[in-house]
Amino acid sequence: MKVLDRLEEGLITFLMAAATIIIFLAVVHRYAAGVHWLNPITRTMSFSWAQELCIYMFVWMAKFGAAYGVRTGIHVGVDVLVNRLPPKGRHAFIIFSLLAGAGFTGTIGSLGATLVYEIASTGQTSADLELPMWLVYLAIPCGSYLMCFRFLQVCWRYIRTHQLPSHNEAHVEGIDDLHPRGGQ
Amino acid sequence: MSAIIIFSLLIAVMLTGMPISIALGITVLTFLFTMTSVPIESVALKLFTGIEHFEIMAIPFFILAGNFLTHGGVARRMIAFAKSLVGHWAGGLGLTGVVACALFAAVSGSSPATVVAVGSILLPAMVQQGFPRKFGAGVVTTSGALGILIPPSIVMVMYAVATSTSIGKLFIAGIVPGLLLATILGLVTWFIAWRNGYPKLPRARFADTLRAFRECVWGLLLIVIVIGGIYAGIFTPTEAAAMSAVYAFVVAVLVYRDMPLKRVPKVLLDSANMSAMLLYIITNAVLFSFLMTSEQIPQAMAAWIIDQNLGAWAFLIIVNILLLAAGNVMEPSSIVLITAPILFPVAMQLGIDPIHFGILMTVNMEIGMCHPPVGLNLYVASGITRMGITELTVAVTPWLIAMLLFLLLVTYVPAISLWLPNLIGAR
Repeated sequence: MKVLDRLEEGLITFLMAAATIIIFLAVVHRYAAGVHWLNPITRTMSFSWAQELCIYMFVWMAKFGAAYGVRTGIHVGVDVLVNRLPPKGRHAFIIFSLLAGAGFTGTIGSLGATLVYEIASTGQTSADLELPMWLVYLAIPCGSYLMCFRFLQVCWRYIRTHQLPSHNEAHVEGIDDLHPRGGQ
Repeated sequence: MSAIIIFSLLIAVMLTGMPISIALGITVLTFLFTMTSVPIESVALKLFTGIEHFEIMAIPFFILAGNFLTHGGVARRMIAFAKSLVGHWAGGLGLTGVVACALFAAVSGSSPATVVAVGSILLPAMVQQGFPRKFGAGVVTTSGALGILIPPSIVMVMYAVATSTSIGKLFIAGIVPGLLLATILGLVTWFIAWRNGYPKLPRARFADTLRAFRECVWGLLLIVIVIGGIYAGIFTPTEAAAMSAVYAFVVAVLVYRDMPLKRVPKVLLDSANMSAMLLYIITNAVLFSFLMTSEQIPQAMAAWIIDQNLGAWAFLIIVNILLLAAGNVMEPSSIVLITAPILFPVAMQLGIDPIHFGILMTVNMEIGMCHPPVGLNLYVASGITRMGITELTVAVTPWLIAMLLFLLLVTYVPAISLWLPNLIGAR
């Protein structure tokens, strides 16, 4: 389980960093290509595939990041009403919505798997990178099934401990160490 | 008819408290499965192609750039600069709060983060100087909302994505209203402080102001790169976002040295987490608007509203009320993604400028963050000040009224939003 957690975190961290660097290099390359004396270097490279790769990387990041988000409790809903309910009703609603989340992502995962299977038989490839499209679309079933698993995991934990993961949106790095001398 | 079914279903599912993205997706699946013959397999494909646009990728990059610079050290430098500029007027530290929030908003696209960063440094200082707690809380809670009006702004990117409007033009259009709102909030602050005789600070020497400016200029250059780069046509908005992310990394790690290199992966992970959540809402909102379009709901609504002979004037009032009401229960990105595809076609038919409409929606979202029950800024501020939500609601009232007046001004004077982009001929 720990391995899966680390793998998930590692993958989305890597995709975020790599996409940023790729677009940065592509822009630098575009302007360096205009400089005459850099020509021998820039001519040997091409970044025409950068945009497409960036998009695919972010789509993969989005799918797996959404699963990670279930674990960190970042997906928020309209909880004003539910929070006013007596505890018993509230538990029922929370468990219902977690299971609905699992049901939805499970369905999408299965639809995605069918889609990947169909596309694989057509041998379609992407425009610039010429990657097989089934490989690109594989993000949908894998990401959705993982998300489904995370929903079930959170639900199971909730039933046992009545604790939901909660995301602290208001966290700012470096405030804590400033606080003692906040008055300056 | 189908519109009523879809919306009742959506609202019912949302009220169970499940994530908004899931609620949107379930509504679409249920409706497609039970009421139509649209092949349900196409839904999975839409979940991929829905975000397969390079423009949308500006969102993760801007979040990353913001997270590198949303740092206590950056906020402290901006507060020091703001203090040296306006500290000697009535309510010195209060005005400092407004200016610091405006400056910080230029590097951060998030309102709550702005409230925390500026508030947790400034509020203790204000209490120490003898300001009432509710004055400081009111200033910071409302000024923090500038975060989404002053570019870069995630909410604007969302609007641009949902309506195919130009991101660059929206950003440039946000500058004048952002500065105007900062001025208005500053005036309210100044007036309250002047009437109550709140303390001032000694006037800063010019050399000190200059030094404070040099300290915080690295952060402020980010906004120059984004706006300048897009305006001059050097970058597309997404490229500008990626450049600003790299720039923010260099500033945070190498120039300011606020952030040790080993914390970078954590920042990347947090940004990816936040971006993935937003992208997931986008994919499901795309599904939802696909359903809307296939049922021809926006067109039907547009025809209906035009039949009522409401005119643009009354339509905009309705839009404002609707958005403020939605702001009570949802967070900005979801509201924009759900309502923009429906309201936008109507606005176009009534001859409202797309950019003006975008700014109007953004200002509405800003106000929604500052009023109960779900104003995120209020919750965050209540965490810093340890004041209850009710007490805080009373505290923000003067500024909130000013913001509502500002909303009316933005609604009925399109020139505020359109003057600058038209002047420089932004595309």
